[in-house]
Amino acid sequence: MKCLLIASESAEVLFHWTDPEFQQNVQKQYGASQEDGQGLPAFEDSISTLFAPIIISCITMVDRLRDSYTSFTTENHHIYVLHQFDECLYIAVNGDGEEGECDLRRKIYVVKKMTEVLFGMVTLSSNLLRKELRPQDTEQRARLWKHLQSLLQTYGHLRENDQSFLVEAVERLIHPTLCEQCIEFLERRLVQQLNSSGERAGEEVMHAFILVHTKLLAFYSSRNASSLSTSDLLVLIIMAQNMYPSNTDSDDPNPEVENDRRTSGSGPESFYTPEPSPPPDRGSSSSGGFCGRCCSMAEDSLQTLEVPPPDPSTPRRVFLEVSLKDGLYPMMPHSMYCLPLWPGITLVLLTKIPTSAVAMSVYTFLEAFAKLEKRLSEGQEGSAATRGQRTIHEVRGKLDKFIKALGPTEIQVCWIEFKNLAFTRGGPGFSRHLIPSCKKMKTQLCAVYRQCFLLESGSSSIPQRLSPGLQERAQSMVQEKLMDWKDFLLVKSRRNITMDFPGLIHFICVDRSTGQMIAPSLNLTERNTSELGKGPLAQFIRRKVWTLVNTTRRYLQKGYSTVTFRDGDFYFCYFLWFENETGFKLEAGDLPVLSDDSAPIGMLAWDYYRKLLRYYSKSHQGEVVKCYELLTVHLGVVPAEIILQHCRQLASKLWEPSRNPLL
Amino acid sequence: MPRCTYFFLYDGSKVKGEGDLTREGICYFYPEETPLDEQELLCGQLAGAGRCVSELSSSPVCVLRLRRNKFAIRMKDDFFWALGCPVEVPTISVCELLDQLINLFRFYNGSVRRSYQLNRPETLASRWAQYLSHLQSGSSDLHHIFSCLRTIDATNIDPLLLLKAALILQACQRCPLVSAGCVLFRGRVVSTQISPELTMKVMVHESETYTKGPRCNDPGTFNSFGGAVSSTTVFLTVSELQHLQSGPGDKDFRSHSTPHKKKPTRKTRLSRTLSNTPSTESEPSDAFSSPSFSRRLSDSSVFSPDPSQSGADPTPQQPDPPFSNGEPSPEAEEEVPEESNYESFHSNGNGVSQMHNEAGGSLFGEDSRLNGGGGDGDAARGPVFDFRGAEESRDHNVFEEVSGGGCGNVQGRGAESPDPARSDDSPLIPMTLYLHRVKGLVLALLVEPCFLSDTDSMEEVYHSSLASLNGLEAHLRTVSPGASGPQGPYLFAHFDCVQSTLTTNLSARPGGALQRPFVRATSLLHSHFCNTETLQEAIIRSAGAAVYGTRSVAQETYFQQHGGSLRNSGIPNHQDSAFSLPGKARHRLLKHGVNLI
Repeated sequence: MKCLLIASESAEVLFHWTDPEFQQNVQKQYGASQEDGQGLPAFEDSISTLFAPIIISCITMVDRLRDSYTSFTTENHHIYVLHQFDECLYIAVNGDGEEGECDLRRKIYVVKKMTEVLFGMVTLSSNLLRKELRPQDTEQRARLWKHLQSLLQTYGHLRENDQSFLVEAVERLIHPTLCEQCIEFLERRLVQQLNSSGERAGEEVMHAFILVHTKLLAFYSSRNASSLSTSDLLVLIIMAQNMYPSNTDSDDPNPEVENDRRTSGSGPESFYTPEPSPPPDRGSSSSGGFCGRCCSMAEDSLQTLEVPPPDPSTPRRVFLEVSLKDGLYPMMPHSMYCLPLWPGITLVLLTKIPTSAVAMSVYTFLEAFAKLEKRLSEGQEGSAATRGQRTIHEVRGKLDKFIKALGPTEIQVCWIEFKNLAFTRGGPGFSRHLIPSCKKMKTQLCAVYRQCFLLESGSSSIPQRLSPGLQERAQSMVQEKLMDWKDFLLVKSRRNITMDFPGLIHFICVDRSTGQMIAPSLNLTERNTSELGKGPLAQFIRRKVWTLVNTTRRYLQKGYSTVTFRDGDFYFCYFLWFENETGFKLEAGDLPVLSDDSAPIGMLAWDYYRKLLRYYSKSHQGEVVKCYELLTVHLGVVPAEIILQHCRQLASKLWEPSRNPLL
Repeated sequence: MPRCTYFFLYDGSKVKGEGDLTREGICYFYPEETPLDEQELLCGQLAGAGRCVSELSSSPVCVLRLRRNKFAIRMKDDFFWALGCPVEVPTISVCELLDQLINLFRFYNGSVRRSYQLNRPETLASRWAQYLSHLQSGSSDLHHIFSCLRTIDATNIDPLLLLKAALILQACQRCPLVSAGCVLFRGRVVSTQISPELTMKVMVHESETYTKGPRCNDPGTFNSFGGAVSSTTVFLTVSELQHLQSGPGDKDFRSHSTPHKKKPTRKTRLSRTLSNTPSTESEPSDAFSSPSFSRRLSDSSVFSPDPSQSGADPTPQQPDPPFSNGEPSPEAEEEVPEESNYESFHSNGNGVSQMHNEAGGSLFGEDSRLNGGGGDGDAARGPVFDFRGAEESRDHNVFEEVSGGGCGNVQGRGAESPDPARSDDSPLIPMTLYLHRVKGLVLALLVEPCFLSDTDSMEEVYHSSLASLNGLEAHLRTVSPGASGPQGPYLFAHFDCVQSTLTTNLSARPGGALQRPFVRATSLLHSHFCNTETLQEAIIRSAGAAVYGTRSVAQETYFQQHGGSLRNSGIPNHQDSAFSLPGKARHRLLKHGVNLI
């Protein structure tokens, strides 16, 4: 019983995702009286009717009480979590007990993050985002929603099954020699060759990495690239997994099994399969997006889905954070090439597109207007409103040129209007009257951005990308390099490290400064590959570990950095600490105490640890501060002193360079 | 700290039509000074959104959170209760507070729907206010976290005194009409035979009569006993009653041996009420063949208000003229002859009462401080309580009519057996709460309703306990309240889940900056224990404090050591003082009577 909904302030459903149970529940309430062939709109109508009163009430509360709902819980343990980002209200529902309030809030933030990666700065204008999320054209809308639904489903699957998505840090394959070789290969052979090719259509490979399932084998960034944030990298892994779902639950990485494994049943890219007109016999089963697709698979309509997928060599547009010397540029356009090497092993290339400088300009302008608007609405006027860096005065000249280059467009009109108000002698100048004009400029800039980076340049024109031939060459180069290793890698990815501490059942160690984690495998359905084997005990431990992470986050949210508890036959420990670059342990300071409905603690959707490090570094100026976390599960019979010794040893040993390549 | 930020009861049945105003449905809203449109906004929005969510999930909403407040919600029939607290208060405590509040109301007034049919909203509003203020008054944050009973500090009291209190209660139970009871001193429990929930409910009336002081004209006060004895009708749930009857005090007398000698008085009053013709003649002694018993059965709907019966049925359920329409006017209430209720006791003088009043008066000031209600508030509520007094007398009459033959009729109660599905509006069985006050000390007994009309039993109970109560009071009075044990270089709180009592060395005054980290950690850990059945113990450490919590089936204990070297890196270290907390707690708390082994 799960549902996620995005609604506008006028209670229009901008996106929804429901699982089959939730859909059935809704249909039951509506008597399931849909006629054949009108599944989708009917379901959408009923869901929007059902939620409308909640949405409207939520908006009313904000307007009149300056407070808003954050959650509802019913006696049968259904949970509704609500969160508003600008003018979009997100509602996540769970009725099967599998997700708690914090999981649902996290999911909402993850969806928000996904829209940022998919739509970039368009998300800064609620008006434009609304149109983007809910295209007028129903077929286009269905395709987009299916894609988002599929991403959400993939995220849900990873979050439930993959430890690196549980703690939201990237897991590396621990094989220092091979890892080093691969990085060298990516640098000297692959990226160099790609970037010197004439078939790259002006694109430049900035990052290249190899994934074995969800684990990172090698990551290379070119010299002039900024580092890729953990948050972005995790989303890219979700996207890669969504395109080429890896079969982590089976020992036999057989592509046939793979396609049947997930409830999605989605083969590569099938979500982008443009459906011909929906076959009338599908009925209501096709109404619910994801599950509808499942059912239709069962109805032997595989035929319709096997319509040739769009050219796999077409890159995906993604918007990623770029940090340069002069500052942070969020949501800069990149192209993402996801090249499958073997089932479970994927090469990902991220390129900077030739027009990306435009995005930087747009961001600079947007920031200037946003700052100005903020100050004006705080009541500051005149020069007080335009202090600081990247102000309107600074960008004025650049913006003139920029708009001139765009030619006669709507933004030109707005800009002239703005200048008349702001800069004309005797005009209102920098005062409250300028706020509407600021807003207009921001919307116009977002529209320009959308025009440049989101709209396809039309199918007739040659798509701008690394040529298919170049992509194929890259693929086969890496395949050749890893041919002898591939089976080893697939096994290794499931048995990454081993433990030699009697009584220690499991641990997770995270380096929050680099966003990387290390943990013994907990895969359940594999044959004899997990440290714990399989069966009820492993399942039990897995559930405990998942709960443990949620619990410790709750304590961390309230400022507790050490937590231990005895629960049933087990003893759990959690530690968070800071070190400087030389490994010297820094004194534990006061951690911020956050409210219950604060952004989720993690790195995927909202980087809590980045903010924590910044907060802590204030009292350690001039030092590079690193942050680590350790979680352990011991048998309860082990004496506490031994448990603590284990923890201490793990904490120091795991980060020794000889043991693993994290440092 | 203000705990409850909002409380309201909203009756959706009053706002069904298009033109109905939201304000029509607001039965009670706290804080009462909230502007009406804000009241309407909150009631309308919360009830509307709540209903929408509960329809989607086919289950009532129980918790609703806003950014700044969290609300416990109860939805029953058309009623919508919401109690809002600041978000820091553990959700479980907010829910417990709301349940306590609703249960208190039902305990003293019976069914909520029925009460609103019978009484003016203003009258009931003052009661909600009273219960809310009682639940919030006085005690520390820790008491609120655990929703526990306020007890006397047993560490400073000679155990013999506690034994004595228990013996008084047992002695009272020799009278077959007495179910069980408790002894309270200055708003704190000395000894109790009844469940913590029921004791908590009883204490509201105790503190009310205490702050109000005895009144000669109070219909619930028996002049015969010098104003020291009072009573009120209360309503027990079936499970509470079963619990009472299964308690150690029960001597299995109720199923048989109903003393015949009581009948005359009871029937006297009954027949008078029924016919308005006083009569003293004896009635047939067989209760089961008497018309009154069958009436009790047929009228059971009054106290088991199945809405299909009591609400919708236009035919009067009760044949009694004064109340047959269910909406008595204030005039009708006034018609009830108060003095005549307990005329059998009128022959006794009330000189003792006067003396007691003076003695009680000296305690009054002290009490208002102890109970935390504040003298001003009590004074302001005075007139309201007067009105309530008048109402109470009517309650007695209603009760007497309905359960006229009901003394000790287990079978009669069985006939009202509850539908377990409707837990909130499950049948309520009327009983009488009897209070005997000796200055700050109160003997509170739950008795069969007919106890009040049974002069012999009443006098027997009164006189057999009077001397012991006086003695106990004199002893308890000499125990200095503030002299709790040495503070020690640590803080602890020990919660007995079975008795719902708390032992702690935290000073009662709120706002001790040193105590706040401990209270915060305790609150978090308590929530964790409540949500995770298998959790046995935990140590949590922030930069400021390391707190150890442990629990068993029957208890939760929290411990924090002062000082120590908290300055550390937080990296795992077995020499870390935080990990020696379990050992220290075991050692230190032994002398507080807390055994953690």
